[in-house]
Amino acid sequence: MKRSTILTEKNRSRWATIFAAIILLPIGISAIGLDVSRDAEMPDVFLEPVDSKWENCIRDSTEMRFRHMDVLKEIRDKVIRYGIRDEVTLAGCGDCHQNRDQFCDRCHAAASVTLDCFGCHYYPESASERTAIPGGEVKNG
Amino acid sequence: MDRRIFLKKSGPALAGVSGAMSLPILASCSSQDAQADSPLAGKKWGMVIDLTRCQSDCTACMDACRQENNVALHGDPRWDVHWIRRATIRPKDESSGLEEKSVLLMCNQCDNPPCAQVCPVQATYKREDGIVLIDHHRCIGCRYCMIACPYNARFFNYKDNPEWPNKEYPRRSHGVAESCHFCAHLLDKGGRPACVEACEQAGQRALIFGDMNDPESEIAQLVKEGLLKRIRADWGTEPKVYYQGL
Ligand code: SF4
Ligand code: SF4
Repeated sequence: MKRSTILTEKNRSRWATIFAAIILLPIGISAIGLDVSRDAEMPDVFLEPVDSKWENCIRDSTEMRFRHMDVLKEIRDKVIRYGIRDEVTLAGCGDCHQNRDQFCDRCHAAASVTLDCFGCHYYPESASERTAIPGGEVKNG
Repeated sequence: MDRRIFLKKSGPALAGVSGAMSLPILASCSSQDAQADSPLAGKKWGMVIDLTRCQSDCTACMDACRQENNVALHGDPRWDVHWIRRATIRPKDESSGLEEKSVLLMCNQCDNPPCAQVCPVQATYKREDGIVLIDHHRCIGCRYCMIACPYNARFFNYKDNPEWPNKEYPRRSHGVAESCHFCAHLLDKGGRPACVEACEQAGQRALIFGDMNDPESEIAQLVKEGLLKRIRADWGTEPKVYYQGL
């Protein structure tokens, strides 16, 4: 087939459509599949608070879902650079979300994210272990 | 449809789709920059080590420090980490008439800290209240600060700390440097460094801690008296750890 016959005026729009379809396909899939796939894979992160003194999460759930890593970094910078320790930190999360396996590890494993937090920060592995650390007002550095 | 028209038509559509998808994320990104109104301003923490009261066989402060800050003790001098330690200084020759002395050594919390100047990633920095500390999230383990520190106060974590006595405070995993930070986490909550508390409980009261900018404080008055020494003050590092009886 000669080149001129592939790209006729008529064919051109067909190629363009195929090209656009290929580009838009992943966006379309994610747009349609976003909620479904997340709900299917991601565990119900908010475990029943057990004798927790907190009424709410530190941010609303949408923000936590999308930005928890940034929220944690904001708190971190506040604490270590400016000495403002007015918010709950990592171990405080464990007051309500007591099971690290369910709360952190499962989603991050699904998203292939390696967590570095727990080499240094204590997070209770299970509800029974949590009693080792009283309260969520953690003197984190 | 020729390419020009296609691009013209698909461009806004694409932008719309991606814009709509990112909206919920953007909306939740309310700006929450760290506050500039730091509660640390105006303070200048300092410590006096009174060697005339310090007992050379006492380890209260060192033990308390390990308990509070999870400072690793592997039992091998190559890997042990010390935030506060004891050294014996001997005169170079016997005829000098100087005595042997047991001295507590720690990070001198330099007001002009060489460690912070060399840190390539600004992991080491001086807080507004003068405390020199490390952001271990940032530390890349280059050990420049260990070389820069003229007091050998910095130690490196060659291994993970196997012990974790104080779960409320993070430990350090391998690959970061560390040194004393005057228990900044306790100071921020209105407390005092663990070693100071321990020394007082042990009955020695050899460690005196306070805000040097507060003229009423014990440390400010001691410093004003002018009888205290600092280790190699001539280096210009301006240590904030003073010695009595050195
Ligand atoms: S004593 Fe060493 S580690 Fe401490 S502030 Fe001075 S240079 Fe830095
Ligand atoms: S070891 Fe860490 S704190 Fe020290 S200079 Fe390197 S990056 Fe900075």
